[in-house]
Amino acid sequence: MSTLQLQEDTVVRKERRLPTEGEALVKPGDHVEAETVVARGVVENPDIRELRVFSSLGVSPDMAKNYMLKSTGDDVGRDEVIAIYRSFFGRSTKVARSPIDGKIENFSPVTGRAIIRGHPIQMDVKAHLPGEIAELIDGEGAVVEARAAVLQGAFGLGGEARGELAFSLDSPDLPLTSGEIKAEHKGKVVVGGSVVTVDALHAAARNGVAAVIVGGVDQKDLTEFLGYEMGVGVTGGEDLGFTLIITEGFGVNPIDDARFSLLKEHEGRLACVDGTTQIRSRIQRPEVIIPL
Amino acid sequence: MDSDESYLIVDIDSRTTKAILVEGAAGGYRLAGVSETETTMEAPVLDVAAGVKTTLAGLEEGTGRKILDGDRPSVAHRFMASSSTGGGLHMVVGGVTGIISGESAQRAALGAGALLMDQFSKDDGRPQFERVARLRSLKPDIMLMAGGTNGGAVTQVLEMAEVVKTADVKPRFGEEYPLPFIYAGNVEIRDRVKKALGEDRYATKMVENVRPVISEENLGPAKEGIYDAYMEHVIVHSPGYDELLSWTEEPLLPTQAAVGRLLYAYVEARRVNLIGVDVGGETTDVYSVFNGIFNRSLNADIGITYGIMNIVKETGLPNVMRWLPPEMKEREVRNTAGNMMLHEHGSLSPDQKNVQAAVAREAVRLGMEKHRGIASRLKGTLVGRTLSDMFNQAIEDTIIDMSKTDVVVGKGRVFSDQTTLESAMILIDSLEPVGVTEIMVDRSSIMPHLGSLLGVNHDAALQILVEESLKSLATLAALSGNAREGEEAVTVRMTVDGSEIVDSVKVGDIRIVPLGADEAAEATFIPHRRLDLGAGRGKQVKKRVQGGEVGLILDARGRPLNRFRKTPEAST
Repeated sequence: MSTLQLQEDTVVRKERRLPTEGEALVKPGDHVEAETVVARGVVENPDIRELRVFSSLGVSPDMAKNYMLKSTGDDVGRDEVIAIYRSFFGRSTKVARSPIDGKIENFSPVTGRAIIRGHPIQMDVKAHLPGEIAELIDGEGAVVEARAAVLQGAFGLGGEARGELAFSLDSPDLPLTSGEIKAEHKGKVVVGGSVVTVDALHAAARNGVAAVIVGGVDQKDLTEFLGYEMGVGVTGGEDLGFTLIITEGFGVNPIDDARFSLLKEHEGRLACVDGTTQIRSRIQRPEVIIPL
Repeated sequence: MDSDESYLIVDIDSRTTKAILVEGAAGGYRLAGVSETETTMEAPVLDVAAGVKTTLAGLEEGTGRKILDGDRPSVAHRFMASSSTGGGLHMVVGGVTGIISGESAQRAALGAGALLMDQFSKDDGRPQFERVARLRSLKPDIMLMAGGTNGGAVTQVLEMAEVVKTADVKPRFGEEYPLPFIYAGNVEIRDRVKKALGEDRYATKMVENVRPVISEENLGPAKEGIYDAYMEHVIVHSPGYDELLSWTEEPLLPTQAAVGRLLYAYVEARRVNLIGVDVGGETTDVYSVFNGIFNRSLNADIGITYGIMNIVKETGLPNVMRWLPPEMKEREVRNTAGNMMLHEHGSLSPDQKNVQAAVAREAVRLGMEKHRGIASRLKGTLVGRTLSDMFNQAIEDTIIDMSKTDVVVGKGRVFSDQTTLESAMILIDSLEPVGVTEIMVDRSSIMPHLGSLLGVNHDAALQILVEESLKSLATLAALSGNAREGEEAVTVRMTVDGSEIVDSVKVGDIRIVPLGADEAAEATFIPHRRLDLGAGRGKQVKKRVQGGEVGLILDARGRPLNRFRKTPEAST
């Protein structure tokens, strides 16, 4: 028997946190929709470049510091000169230019190298589900509270997605094939049956489906669809074009009756899903939240 | 020797807290009781000591001894503990040269029981900014940096220190505290390294150089430095450990370090070469002691539950399939393995057992592949070559020699899920020992406890290890070399209980000769003139062989192994 969570009517509290410090754009008691931005912050730009200043100037590493025009912490533009070396009474000039727009994160007077990082990137966190702001998380986000039905899956791929619950099969025992996924499912959360075929996975991506919830998938088909071996059970960052939630496990596994009935009961309502999975000591399973 | 002393020893891993009571008995010591409960480091309890107290209460009930005195262990028992909560000790190591100081730092960290997150060095091929970005993203528990012999490299060491300074590496737990940083490089520039790291940015500790001269490795002080930092800076940030530490005068060791110490002591006592493999759900550890040199390696994310699909990824499905019955097809194998990753299984179905045994072989094989690289001779030193070496093309870098492995020990759930024969075959198939080797498994999972006990009572730890923990499965006699299939590969003669046993195996086959766990015999092995049992081709081997639950296994399948589904035939 599955130990995965299934609750027909409960109060969900979802922490909505930025991966960095920022500010909450809501206050306790505010009503939010799923798409409401609750917090905004800036994250470090992953675009980071190393500039061998000494090499551009043609001097030894420990001499480069004498020719710097910019210092650690200064903003720089793309192609902006950050160091200049004149020799032969100004007849020969060598310069070091920034390869990107950003900031000098570090200049080492020992190695004569500068590290330049792109400008910070703005990041928003949405509420993910409609509800009320229960509390703020200092400088990081907020807690959204809502009444909802909640069920966990065994395994998922892809991150958060939202859409209307749609059924293309009447029985949890039937396989979900490409024929059951149609253009009308664009932006919806499609509930399938016992197994999703590899063609159906391609059809879901092609038709812009928000998410697929199904009992099982053949691990071989999933590997073929992903194009690589999955490895460890840590997911959420995959770019499939949709979120996939497997409620039972690998192979042909009809969705458990209680889960299927609960989903069917809420056909046409909004479902907020997250495929993020971590099978480890701090276990995290994919989840489907249906706000009531 | 009789003793009134008694020891209360606890090991805490991410899921389970297990306690044992060892007490004096006629003829030495005995294991008086074992108890285990769930670890309570995570919410809602958030107090590791609470789980320890529950476990001790269980031990009190099970043994009838007074274990608890109010809210703490009774002082009648000496208390000790080891821990691998939070996934164990996470470390990053650095050096100037990856294969010299970097490798020594790596061996020190692994030997101290760490999970290595990354190794960086001047020659690792990454630009400086990438090293900085990577270091910044890692959040280890401790950093260890080596580099330069004493009086040797200066500039490169300072450059590496500057990378560390720029990265401003934060610890995994307790970001408000400075990260413990251990320097084990050129001792003559300690002050300059400290300055280059930035005042107060790290909790810096200076220890002896791991490579004082190029031809010498000195890992002891670095390991001790790691244990100290673990106690002083890492473990104290986990909830409940301060209370635990107040119950004992003994150092709290990382679990894997305790296991390593115990295996080393066992090898010292028996004067043998040993390989130990610990196949976990998430990781596979390999320990070895060859000619008195201890090494440990760790394959993170290679395990038989959480890490099972990563084994498939790393080794490739065909390598898993080769160990399975031909009727099991790819879809079935993939789905079975995938579900073993997703769900915990109390008892295993026949298919799950087959898949577990197959992936365990690959986990150990992958672990051993990595271990050979860690257990290597010191790089950067001159190697004397003989005339015969010139014909051998290359000198082996590793100090592991499977033809000189006397004992193999398996540890982990797989060895209790599988039959004794299958357990023995997992170890034989994956490690491919050559010559005469004892095959054992750990049956009680108390090695970390005994490793802690070792520091205060060496004899008690070894006695309990032999009597309660290690189980002899078999003695293996395995041949290398080429001979024609079907020819007699080796004949064994031995006398057991006054009767002479003569048995043999043909080339390509594997055969079991009965020899009980409580039996031992002086055996004479006469190999085929082209086959080698460790003494040279065709050379007779006389050796005392220990029996086991399986018996004496004669393995003539050849090395490297290319017969994967061969069932051992039993002697009648």
